[in-house]
Amino acid sequence: MTTLNLGNFIALSAVLFVIGVFGALTRRNIIGILMGIELMFNAANINLVAFNRYLHPAGVTGQTLALFIITIAAAEVVVGLALVLAIYRNTDTVYVEDYNLLKG
Amino acid sequence: MELIAFYSLAALVIMTALLVVTARNTVHSALFLGLCLAGVGGLFALLGADFLFAGQIMVYVGGIAVLIMFVVMLLGRASDLHLRQINGHWAAAVLVCSITLVGLWRVVSHFTQGMPSAAPLPTTGPLGLIMMGDYAVPFELVSLVLTGALLGAIFFSHREKAK
Repeated sequence: MTTLNLGNFIALSAVLFVIGVFGALTRRNIIGILMGIELMFNAANINLVAFNRYLHPAGVTGQTLALFIITIAAAEVVVGLALVLAIYRNTDTVYVEDYNLLKG
Repeated sequence: MELIAFYSLAALVIMTALLVVTARNTVHSALFLGLCLAGVGGLFALLGADFLFAGQIMVYVGGIAVLIMFVVMLLGRASDLHLRQINGHWAAAVLVCSITLVGLWRVVSHFTQGMPSAAPLPTTGPLGLIMMGDYAVPFELVSLVLTGALLGAIFFSHREKAK
């Protein structure tokens, strides 16, 4: 492996995505789950920008999509954290196994 | 040169991402998340996406990581440091993740295109043009989504007054 190729970036983004999935599946803390989701967003962004650079270097379509993902992620995390605050105020816990209000 | 930059950034991103998902102290987790997002911004710069690099630093490192930090500190308790932060299904999660990684790895091995010879051009101007041209409708929709998120955040975090 002498020069950098597209596979390097996709491999890195695959590893980052899987780490994010692992975090979202295993953290007990709801903020930890949100952080895992942020890692997954970033893995997708690396993928989009790398494909843009290697397969279509004259255009910026992949970067535009990455920009939209950054915006949506910001909106998602704002609403998510507001919901976490509201839930914490009602249940007094941040651990997801205690969120069983709807359990029959 | 690019190889050195890539491998150092990749090592930074993966090490800090692992620390984000495994650190027991959520404050450390949030700090490592900021470092990880900055490393991803460095990868954007390596790929020639200068505007995205600036956007990543401003929105993710300066906005989202700090916001998560705030909430972690608002909701944290000293007793949390003695509790385990990983639930009991970590073995199943490792299984799911390794199956996903094997599947992704088989796809990755098909992509061996080299770096294009042309040096990357500044992307801010083309991004502005494409936002106002082909992607004008998604652009407007995203501003609607942001307004909705703003209203939703105010609505959800509003504390009802006791009557």
